[in-house]
Amino acid sequence: MAPHSPGTDQIDTLLWIGFIAAAIVVVAINVALFRVVRQYRSERGAEPRQLTSGRRIQFRVAGALTAFAAVVFILGIVFTDKAREQPSTGAAGLAAAKEEPLEIKATGQQWLWRYEYPNGAFSYYKLVVPVDTAVELDLVSTDVVHTWNVPDLAGKHDAVPGKTNHVVFRADDEGEFDGEAATLSGQAYAAMRTEVDVVSAQAYKEFLEQQKGDIEAAQKRVVGLIENGEVP
Amino acid sequence: MSETPRPELVVEGFPGRPRPRWIELTTSADHKELGRILITAAFGFLFLAAVELFLMRLQLAIPENSFMSPVGFNRMLSTYGATAVFFFAIPLVFGLFYYVAPLQIGARGTALPRLGQLGVALFGAGTVLFYSGFMFTPSEAGVNPLAPLTELAFLSNNGVDAWAAATGLATLGFVFLAIDLLTTLRRLRAPGMAWRRVPIFAWAATVGSWLMLVIGPVLLAALTMLMIDRNYDGIFFADGSGGAPLLWQHLSWIFFTGAYMLVLIFALGAIAEIFSTFSGKPLFNRPAVMVSLAAIAVIGTLAWMQNMMTAPIGIGWMYFAMLMSLALLIPFGLILFNLISTLAGGVLRMRAPLLFAIGAVSMISIGLAAELEQSLVAAAWQIKNTTDATAATHFALVGGAVFGGFAALYYWFPKMTGRTMGEYMARLSFWTMVVGTLVAFVPLFFAGAEQGQVIDAYKFFAGKGLDAYNLIASIGTLILFVGIVLTLVNAIQSRVNGAEAGHDPWGGDTLEWFTLSPPEPHNFDVLPDVRSPRPMRDIREAIANRTARDEQPAREQQPVA
Repeated sequence: MAPHSPGTDQIDTLLWIGFIAAAIVVVAINVALFRVVRQYRSERGAEPRQLTSGRRIQFRVAGALTAFAAVVFILGIVFTDKAREQPSTGAAGLAAAKEEPLEIKATGQQWLWRYEYPNGAFSYYKLVVPVDTAVELDLVSTDVVHTWNVPDLAGKHDAVPGKTNHVVFRADDEGEFDGEAATLSGQAYAAMRTEVDVVSAQAYKEFLEQQKGDIEAAQKRVVGLIENGEVP
Repeated sequence: MSETPRPELVVEGFPGRPRPRWIELTTSADHKELGRILITAAFGFLFLAAVELFLMRLQLAIPENSFMSPVGFNRMLSTYGATAVFFFAIPLVFGLFYYVAPLQIGARGTALPRLGQLGVALFGAGTVLFYSGFMFTPSEAGVNPLAPLTELAFLSNNGVDAWAAATGLATLGFVFLAIDLLTTLRRLRAPGMAWRRVPIFAWAATVGSWLMLVIGPVLLAALTMLMIDRNYDGIFFADGSGGAPLLWQHLSWIFFTGAYMLVLIFALGAIAEIFSTFSGKPLFNRPAVMVSLAAIAVIGTLAWMQNMMTAPIGIGWMYFAMLMSLALLIPFGLILFNLISTLAGGVLRMRAPLLFAIGAVSMISIGLAAELEQSLVAAAWQIKNTTDATAATHFALVGGAVFGGFAALYYWFPKMTGRTMGEYMARLSFWTMVVGTLVAFVPLFFAGAEQGQVIDAYKFFAGKGLDAYNLIASIGTLILFVGIVLTLVNAIQSRVNGAEAGHDPWGGDTLEWFTLSPPEPHNFDVLPDVRSPRPMRDIREAIANRTARDEQPAREQQPVA
């Protein structure tokens, strides 16, 4: 995983903070444990010292733990808030998305993602977004819970039937980014993948026109076939 | 003390033979027999769970493997989850609580023995139902089967029904056991055993039983709703007609998170007893450990939404879940501090129970630290539902239920059978398991946190940097499996061939070591007056003092020429 958006940059930092905090916990406990075990292995004739503890040391340890937890908690909130901040569309981005983010509807269904663009065009499997543009995905599901998960661009979020979930991100680099659904959704769950193509604003507009034209042409052809009686 | 003359008791002998062992076993309401049934069954299911985990890892050893079909994998996954949680971890915890806690508090039996017997019977019915369902159509919906995948529209065969009925029966059984245990612990403590003198493992049983009394009915309610949905056109978890798929997530995660805490509370209680016994020291600050165990039950269960960080529940609830998860650092940290301080200054006898208890602390620490990272909201958006989460859960629960469970087994096996388990095989098993656990689950941290490998998928794709991690993890699972089998074989062999243990092989401080090994059906002929948290130590000291006093005049006598 490599971050390619402001949000995932923040997530990446928080992951490192979490990793350091976790490492401190693991090292502290295990070093203390193994030192004590090495030091007090049984010696012939030694008598165990019948120590118990007073209250003061308990409060000190609890205080230190509280301080540690509080620091991690605050860092967690700070970086989560940064990660979910609405990014602003940059100079290279889509002009139409300067004020409001580009809103795209992502529908999860067994076992495919469908994306609907503002102009009415839609695509399956592949999402095309303009670079340097704030994008808001509205996640919905038509059947079971699916998780939209493209780790290089945004955190994962669930599409739950009956609810709308939101993902905001701004892709900083052009390229193709893979994603895999992350909640067991039935037989073909492992094959439920998606791909985000980040392209220039111009290429995005062309894609939308092309896609819309293709869909309308296909629609017309089908309607024509039905009217001619070639298909029932 | 004056002896009152008692009338001679005449027992009319049974006509004919004594009843066969299996009838005794299946009709007994004795907490020791029932506890042994639960413990034996739990370790049997541990074996099955380990086989199932290994089969899944075999499928995931190489990319795009076709050893298992997608449906087959999902069935194996669902079966593994239910087996590990409902038929291994929780029954093991309650089996040991149910066997040991009444002995520790000096009770001659449990308060509501028939309720406990019913509990074990319900658990048994659940296991039979589940595995007979396994023969036909097991559930395909995963470890925690999220609605609405479990609705009839998506999984129309009987797998989910069998899953729900079986786990429901078992859970109802655990609730009954919890009621019996709580009543016993409240009403039947030996004279002088105030709460501040209750052995720490019996206190863990109290906290754990309260916890089950709270979370068990929550799951039962959710399962009932699920059954109504599936069989009587209900809409509790169905979308669109007033139902709420997220409701299932809330209810089920309350149970699963609570059960996770239950396993850790059990493990920490057992580890505390073992550390104290094998260092020859009292538990370092009992009150802090007791309060912390209760705090884990409350705070830990309140952190259930940590599992729903990617669901549309609102950022405020996610921060609440993160706060609860991080607040858990305080009670866990305090307990571990006190446990390690219990060892310090002692004289450590490095026998099998201590070895496994130390291993358990180490593994649990890794699991909890990884859960800490999982609880940071934005970090969870990246690493939740990846194999990083799998590894975190497995470190904590293999540490708690397998290492901790084996520590408890090695510790109390002499009490249950009168024989000690083999030390050489214990060491072999321990080191194999340590290597196996690390090799099996550390690569999953990397695969999940670094490469984002998603959980529960029946295959992964080549060329994503996952191949090596998964192959190593599969090999590790095999090593772990061998380690687990070594201890299980050790237990089976030692049951007949182990060295005679006597009533108190370890020099324990609590009252279960006052009874015979195995204890008589009524546990205690007489009970000492409990004056401290360490009644057996008091008795040993009293005997030593009396012996010294009695021997005094003998030394003053003139030597015989």
